[in-house]
Amino acid sequence: MTVEKILTENMDLYYGAKQALKKISIKIPEKKVTAFIGPSGCGKSTFLRSLNRMNDLIDGVKIEGNILIDGINIYDHNIDVVTLRKKVGMVFQKSNPFAKSIYENIAYGPRINGLKDRKQLDEIVETALKNAAIWDEVKDRLGDSALGLSGGQQQRLCIARTLAVNPEIVLMDEPASALDPLSTSKIEELIVQLKENYTIVIVTHNMQQAARISDNTAFFYLGELIEYDKTKKLFTNPDKKQTEDYITGRFG
Amino acid sequence: MENRIFDSELEKLDHKVVQMCSQVNQQINDALRALKEYDLKLAKKVINDDNAVDTLDVKIDRLCQKIFALQQPVASDLRYILSALKINNDLERVGDHAVSIAKRIEPLEDYRQLVADLGVENVSEITTLLFADVVELVKTHDLEYCQKIYRRSSLLKEGCETIAAKILSEMMHKSEVVVVASNILIIVNLIERIASYSNNIAESITFVVEGEIVKHKKNMQ
Repeated sequence: MTVEKILTENMDLYYGAKQALKKISIKIPEKKVTAFIGPSGCGKSTFLRSLNRMNDLIDGVKIEGNILIDGINIYDHNIDVVTLRKKVGMVFQKSNPFAKSIYENIAYGPRINGLKDRKQLDEIVETALKNAAIWDEVKDRLGDSALGLSGGQQQRLCIARTLAVNPEIVLMDEPASALDPLSTSKIEELIVQLKENYTIVIVTHNMQQAARISDNTAFFYLGELIEYDKTKKLFTNPDKKQTEDYITGRFG
Repeated sequence: MENRIFDSELEKLDHKVVQMCSQVNQQINDALRALKEYDLKLAKKVINDDNAVDTLDVKIDRLCQKIFALQQPVASDLRYILSALKINNDLERVGDHAVSIAKRIEPLEDYRQLVADLGVENVSEITTLLFADVVELVKTHDLEYCQKIYRRSSLLKEGCETIAAKILSEMMHKSEVVVVASNILIIVNLIERIASYSNNIAESITFVVEGEIVKHKKNMQ
């Protein structure tokens, strides 16, 4: 049985006077991959960033409606945003490793959470790198700078860094758009593996990628959630004409 | 925004599938007319024209492969191309059946009365009407034709079964007609198969239009 991890109800988001998201209601299941697709400016990334309150960092953002994770409204005044972002990690389009060693990139999060024990840190680093499918490539050079890794490796390192603080949800904003096909394929395989333990929400412009790796797909257009369904249904027989036009490349 | 390259490939495919359907329709009509009129020249033409059907079959397969590889179709495009492959396959088989019928006409020279008495002309006429509906369905994707096709197919199958029973009875009573009656029985079976392929094509077009798999529905319910 699928359990819903994230639930939004009639969620509106405004950038100042401009409404960027309109009445978004969606149930995102636990330990599944959910993809958000839609043309640039449709609100998919804005919606993704709302799920761990990254939009709080932008001036003039106002959110109405509910966003519940495990039944708790994450915009309640008593929510600790730092704790929320530990639970809901994020991976960005451009890999952004710290200018530190591979080891320190992963140990950074647990360390600022107060963990000092070297043995425990070693274990966390190894597990996170293994879970991000990059351990075998870096295990002999953990002390080397992370900036010396290839783009694909850097992105998997960033995924490992996200996993190191033990999140339950991982948000990914076009995590493979800057990578070559081989690195993309590794990231995609990794995402599918990760859903065993994590709830994954991914924004992608690559529709074949959404089709390959996600269980459910949501199509956004002009700030509205147009259609949300099982990926295999949405890509073979969508209900809405706008979805059909978008995924078949006949938009507008 | 339009997707012009993709659209032109789909138009090309659609054009070829309609062309295939028309060619196969011609083959069936010619084979059945050759049977009715004992026209060996026309039968020969059906046999020769099969090459053109086969060539088109390969072209459609290749075009579908190309579209899958280069355009990664989804939604209604995906359903259309998947169905085009299946319809093409069904049409090619119907074309082969027309050839098989044509090849079996020559030994019937002295038994034209028997062929007439058995009512083969009746099922031939139903087949012609049935396949005319298939051509229209493939051209227009108007699902109204599906119901007509299912009805005519059912009628055709009944007609073929009646003839088969008559043939078996003839064979039991007149041992001298066993060889020729077997030949007619095979022809009738080939005609009956055309009904099944027509149903398949109707199911494929329903899948294109509605996205619903209707084949085997009776068995799955």
